[in-house]
Amino acid sequence: MLRSRKISIVAAVAALPLALAACGGSDGGGGSDDQTLTIWHYENEDSAMGQAWAKAIEIFEEENPDVEVVVEKQTFEQIQKNAKIVLTGNDVPDVMEYNKGNATAGQLAAQGLLTPLTDAAAERGWDEKLSGSLQTTATYDEQGLMGSGDWYGVPNYGEFVQVYYNKDMFAQYGLEVPTTLEELETVMQAFADQGVTPLAEAGAEYPMGQLWYELVLANSDREFIDQYQLFDGDPDFHGPEMTQATETLNSWIQSGYVASDSAALTAEDMGVSFINGTYPMMVSGSWWFGRIVEEMDADWGQFNFPGNTLQVGSSGNLWVVPANADSPDLAEEFIDITLRPEVQNILAETGGLPVAGDASVITDERTQQLTENFQAILDEDGLAFYPDWPVPGYYDVVVSELQSLINQSKTPTEVLDGLETAYVDGKADLLDS
Amino acid sequence: MPTRTDPATDQVPEATRAPEAADRRRRRPAWVPYLPYLLPGAVAFVVVIGYPFAMNVYYSLFKWRGGMAPMRWNGLGNYSDLMGDSAFWTSFQNSVAMILAMVVVPTLLGLVLAAVLFDYLGRRFGPRVAAFLRATYYLPQILPVAVAGVLWNWILNAQTGALNVTLRGLGLDNPPNWLGDPDIALPSVMLVLIWVQVGYPVVIFMSALQRVDPELYEAAELDGAGWWRRFQAITIPQIRPETFVVTLTCTVAALKVFGPIYVLTRGGPESSTLVPSYYSYLNFFDKSKVGYGAAIATVLTLVIIVVAVVILALQSRAERREQEGR
Repeated sequence: MLRSRKISIVAAVAALPLALAACGGSDGGGGSDDQTLTIWHYENEDSAMGQAWAKAIEIFEEENPDVEVVVEKQTFEQIQKNAKIVLTGNDVPDVMEYNKGNATAGQLAAQGLLTPLTDAAAERGWDEKLSGSLQTTATYDEQGLMGSGDWYGVPNYGEFVQVYYNKDMFAQYGLEVPTTLEELETVMQAFADQGVTPLAEAGAEYPMGQLWYELVLANSDREFIDQYQLFDGDPDFHGPEMTQATETLNSWIQSGYVASDSAALTAEDMGVSFINGTYPMMVSGSWWFGRIVEEMDADWGQFNFPGNTLQVGSSGNLWVVPANADSPDLAEEFIDITLRPEVQNILAETGGLPVAGDASVITDERTQQLTENFQAILDEDGLAFYPDWPVPGYYDVVVSELQSLINQSKTPTEVLDGLETAYVDGKADLLDS
Repeated sequence: MPTRTDPATDQVPEATRAPEAADRRRRRPAWVPYLPYLLPGAVAFVVVIGYPFAMNVYYSLFKWRGGMAPMRWNGLGNYSDLMGDSAFWTSFQNSVAMILAMVVVPTLLGLVLAAVLFDYLGRRFGPRVAAFLRATYYLPQILPVAVAGVLWNWILNAQTGALNVTLRGLGLDNPPNWLGDPDIALPSVMLVLIWVQVGYPVVIFMSALQRVDPELYEAAELDGAGWWRRFQAITIPQIRPETFVVTLTCTVAALKVFGPIYVLTRGGPESSTLVPSYYSYLNFFDKSKVGYGAAIATVLTLVIIVVAVVILALQSRAERREQEGR
């Protein structure tokens, strides 16, 4: 009796470290001295950003042979949800990729979780390299609203939404690239008449919201966008800009231009179905470019959303320096390297839409087209950001309301009511604190 | 139910002790020797559950954006806002659906499956076959929720999922939009939850059935009772303790459910699959309304405590009745 009790005690004690190891997470090997530069980002290694940043790290290591560079890959969702908590601790990276806008980088800035970079920007000339609307997303005031205040983040690249189209399918039905909204509707009707749903869409994630916003922009001017995005006034949700856009989208859904069962599809579903030729057109972002180049067999092309001066798009994600970072100076140096021509030109060549690159170095025709499309928007100062930016949590509201539109369970007026309520409440909360 | 043995006392027998007054100071309560064994559990409880819960209640009294933002006192304001929040009430309505999918159906189904596996298949094909089948029923419980989510999305995806592709192949032109139609999404999620949850009652009930004295069955058979009558009169009352355990744990799990919702529908479409814990998560992380999210979590905890207490009270009453003799 006694011996079996001894054995069980020994076994329990031996098992204890295993149990503790199982329930404790890994501590992360992040360095905490000036000899290590810890970088967090969530871009694919094959993407334009991934390649350009690999070059930047190479340059940094050449110029700082004593410093060890540690890169920890994250996912967009992880960083977006957890940054507020993680950055309050001490185990933070020195420089981190973060999403731009009031609801994300603005929040972190307002809570004092990021190091202001205004002085570094002036010293190193970043404010001269980045033009007008690109700087909007780099600066945030005490309430976390973009457009003014200190520099908190530095973008390396831009992004925008355009229309990818399947040239083979267009040729099959004898259709030309549309240059106005009416022409686009004619093209879509031509496809629908042949039993082909023209637009690849995804109701469960961002694509539907961006399509809706493109239609809002078709009827808007910069003043309306400043009201909506920068809180320069109160946007009228039942005014002509939004009402026309929602009713147009509603009639597109009813005409079968958007698949009626796309409410639960994800962006991945949308992209895959465009690439495999199920749909002839996809309205989505420049972030799809690299993948479509790699994977699409059919001949394809790109054009800006027809008829719009204002387009969905903004600066790319920002490099931010957490307030509790161990090596902020190394971080600033790294950021500076990413803005150098050697790195920016890699972004240009791979279709990454650099903020400070030279378009003439691009040899590939499609990449040149992409960059020219982006440049055209910049020339008209047409970047109008994204529909879910104004208030925190608005992304889920936009997704949910537009799902109702796809499922035809709400009228356009009701959808706008829902969007308005969430916007007004969220704005009150944001300005209240 | 095994009868409880009295804890061994290590006190000196009555007759040889000193007078009563001095005695009371030296007589230790019976549970004191157990203290060293209870201490680690108590410490773990305070650190992992007690303290965070107290902090949660504390946060729910403030308006707070999280991180290093200032906390502003709001008293019971968050709670009164909750009462008027339609999303909150929707989420509790959906909880009832969760209870149906994670308690009622798996318990009933689990009982039937356990009886079939134990009584019939076990006798016919041997205990190894029964054990193997039991393990396969339990497999969904072991599968990580994220993997299960990807798997079910492959099956239920409206356009490319296996189910709809098969239905289209059979000639059905417009198969249902399993995860995208707000009327169908909740039943689809419930189906996935039943699949996940059914293995747990099967395992518990199979071991419970082994405990039932076979002589009771033989006596009943001799008296002419059929299988269903034996099941009703002997099996179900005999495994009552396990039934209570399964009901209690599954109900708590159903009220807390988060993973499958997050992975399958993110509370959509159109908030039709919103549940309290997911709503709390949205407020914490997406909307940065930490105080409000904490209030939701507190209310959810209180509801679970009330439900658990009710179930435990019912269980004690049933045990008491049994001991008094029916």
